[in-house]
Amino acid sequence: MPETQPETLQRWVERILPTVAKPGRYVGGELNQTIKPWDSVHTHLALVFPDIYDLGQSNLGIALLYDILNQRDDIAAERAFSPWIDMEAAMRAAEIPLFSLESKRALSEFEIIGVSLPYETLYTNFLNILDLAHLPLYSRERTKEHPLVIAGGQAVYNPEPVAPFVDAFVIGEGEDAILEVVDVYQAWQDAGETREKLLVRLGGIPGVYVPSLYDISYHNDGRVNQINPNNPAAKQTVDKRIMAAFPPPLTRFMVPNVEVVHERVSVEIMRGCTRGCRFCHAGMVNRPIRERSVDEILSALRSGLEQTGYEEVSLLSLSSSDHSQIIALIKGLSDLLCERQVNISLPSLRIESFSDELMNELQALSPGGGFTLAPEAGTERLRNVINKPISDDELLATARSIFQHGWKTIKLYFMIGHPQETMEDVAAITELSRKVLQEGRKIAGGRARLHVGVSTFIPKPHTPFQWAAFEDPEIIRQKLNLLHEGFHGAKIKMTWNDPQASLLEAWLSRGDRRIADVIFHAWQNGARFDAWSEHFNSDIWQKAFEQAGLDPDFYSKRERELDETLPWDHINAGVRKSFLKRDYEWSLAGKIRPDCRDQCYSCGILSTFSELRLTAPDGGWKCP
Amino acid sequence: MNEQDLITRIRVTYTKGESLRFTGHLDIQRLWERLLRRSGLPIRYSQGFHPRARLNLASALPLGFISDAEMLDFWMDKPRPVDEIKQALSSAAPPGLIIQSVEGISMSDKSLQSQMHASEYEITFFDPQSGEKLQEKISELLAADEISRTRRNKSYNLRPLILDLAVIQLESDEWELGMRLLAEPGQTGRPDEVLEEMGYQNTDVLVKRTKLMLS
Repeated sequence: MPETQPETLQRWVERILPTVAKPGRYVGGELNQTIKPWDSVHTHLALVFPDIYDLGQSNLGIALLYDILNQRDDIAAERAFSPWIDMEAAMRAAEIPLFSLESKRALSEFEIIGVSLPYETLYTNFLNILDLAHLPLYSRERTKEHPLVIAGGQAVYNPEPVAPFVDAFVIGEGEDAILEVVDVYQAWQDAGETREKLLVRLGGIPGVYVPSLYDISYHNDGRVNQINPNNPAAKQTVDKRIMAAFPPPLTRFMVPNVEVVHERVSVEIMRGCTRGCRFCHAGMVNRPIRERSVDEILSALRSGLEQTGYEEVSLLSLSSSDHSQIIALIKGLSDLLCERQVNISLPSLRIESFSDELMNELQALSPGGGFTLAPEAGTERLRNVINKPISDDELLATARSIFQHGWKTIKLYFMIGHPQETMEDVAAITELSRKVLQEGRKIAGGRARLHVGVSTFIPKPHTPFQWAAFEDPEIIRQKLNLLHEGFHGAKIKMTWNDPQASLLEAWLSRGDRRIADVIFHAWQNGARFDAWSEHFNSDIWQKAFEQAGLDPDFYSKRERELDETLPWDHINAGVRKSFLKRDYEWSLAGKIRPDCRDQCYSCGILSTFSELRLTAPDGGWKCP
Repeated sequence: MNEQDLITRIRVTYTKGESLRFTGHLDIQRLWERLLRRSGLPIRYSQGFHPRARLNLASALPLGFISDAEMLDFWMDKPRPVDEIKQALSSAAPPGLIIQSVEGISMSDKSLQSQMHASEYEITFFDPQSGEKLQEKISELLAADEISRTRRNKSYNLRPLILDLAVIQLESDEWELGMRLLAEPGQTGRPDEVLEEMGYQNTDVLVKRTKLMLS
């Protein structure tokens, strides 16, 4: 193994870089990168996004944490991403450990490794990262000499599938919590205590979950029986962490020297959503709604454009048209775009929040490209079941308005495999789409285009559909075939997800702690980049389930009992299980739950965070 | 005076340093567009939906090479003093890109690419080399009338593209190569191809462009 001194490591890396694709992914050195002399700081933290640079460098979460951590003089935060297949082979052949882009230090030299896990299909890459860093994969095998491995992100609202590999999770928003993790780490270092003591100390931070402090027992049939803390210091349930006020936008925007997936200034305009779509994980776990002011959004965009020189801006939120100042925001944007000669990529907008005023303002931005709408289901009945109550007439009127305002292309997003979905509901997707295209033809003639994207519904934890079964892949295939036939000759372009890949997500998203062995075996059998359709291999996973002695159908096909202990019951995402249960029952009855901006349905957010809300500026949240 | 007279054409000579070694030609072009936007200079943009800064790079530099002598032209809507331009570009430049000089150029000059005549390169080796051996290989190569190679399925003769090739002694046991290769439209010599003829791979060397020669 080569010396891991940074200079030596860098020489080795330089020798192999000309042999791999896109070597610029592995060198760092970007504009606005932060690099501090190694010995000038107390704590080194490696921020890891377990996919390639092209994706990780575009991730706003990583950028925000990097910014926040590096504002502290005693911390150096550096980045590391997954090497692509060719680079991994070259690194393994030369025994080069995974290193940070800034200082070219092996990850094992960092005190803390923070891993972002926004979706489940990154889990094998995460294990691969630990292995490439020459670290033991299992938390229990690591010692005081190894870095502390923490993880956060949207996927870890159910932390159990990766619990044995992670020392501590940050559940929820990490802006403050990550600094507290560093503080606790430093205090522990000063005290010179054991690693077990560190984990107990971390478990005391609000929002931090230390899995080794909890024991899980199972029924004979495999269902979770009990989740019990095994240490008096461990909380019975871990409340997610949220920020009372919208945290400040990014202050330093990095500009990559090689092409990445998103090259634009992105600013978060709103967190949370009140619409309550029953399939939507993000809509449930990111409550309450907090808005950024128009002034702050515009000044963040302006500063981002000045720092980067990018040609495009984008607004991030779950539902941008629900921002209470959307019209003022778009007016401000028009001026900015014109002054700077830049474009905007439009976010998806809610069908029910359309107005002529909004359309006129949007038209003034003269964005290129298509307009995206997400009815999600083909019939009004099924849209009530999933709590996205839009009538066919509303959808058609919106489509008409979009075409009238000059757009030529509409993209419609649908999901199949919803609970209670019939073949008629699926067939209705094609009828509805044809009607939308007809509206376009009336206005734009042959230039009107329609794209239909079809994904597969995956039941997610902390949603009203967390008890539902994942549709049999064979039936999904039949439904896809029905759509293909239905679209035949319609000049509508349809794209869809591989049902097998959705199945993987279905296994992992509601998995328990035992499924960690499946992930381990899959990684050992060579699973990598499961989020990339060309790399995902379903056979590897089937074999891994066999090796772990678990039944994959148990995780995907099984409808959960309403009173069973779910593997994530000790994690409180703010929305109570009793609320979710009632909402699930409403869905079975076809009963909708209106937007909760106007009336509170006591989802649990306000009772969990009643004290925090008092500290939010001017009422802050959009809860009534 | 009409508006056209105010448009200015600026030529920049710059260094592409080690931290940009693995940034390829297309990425360098995008990097420059963003650098120009950041500079706050009155850059001339193309018309249309997606306005782009108008710029023109002299000669593509292959991935993995560094350079002390890259050149590009860009256009501005209003004139500015050369010092001010240099200052604005320097403060907007990413690490590894150093602005060496800035000059105003006549609007009617031919494009940089079409003025290109030759490029000079310096090649340093990662592992120690014998000066004698290097000299032998060079002499052999230069003695040939024809060095037949194929590039993109087309065969061509590399020999006339080599204008000069020499060993340079740095220290008693440290050697580097210097070469001047033709770089005219349609007949451009690549240093990695010369090196390959001498038995070296791109993992053995660091190639630095040291000069662009315009005709």
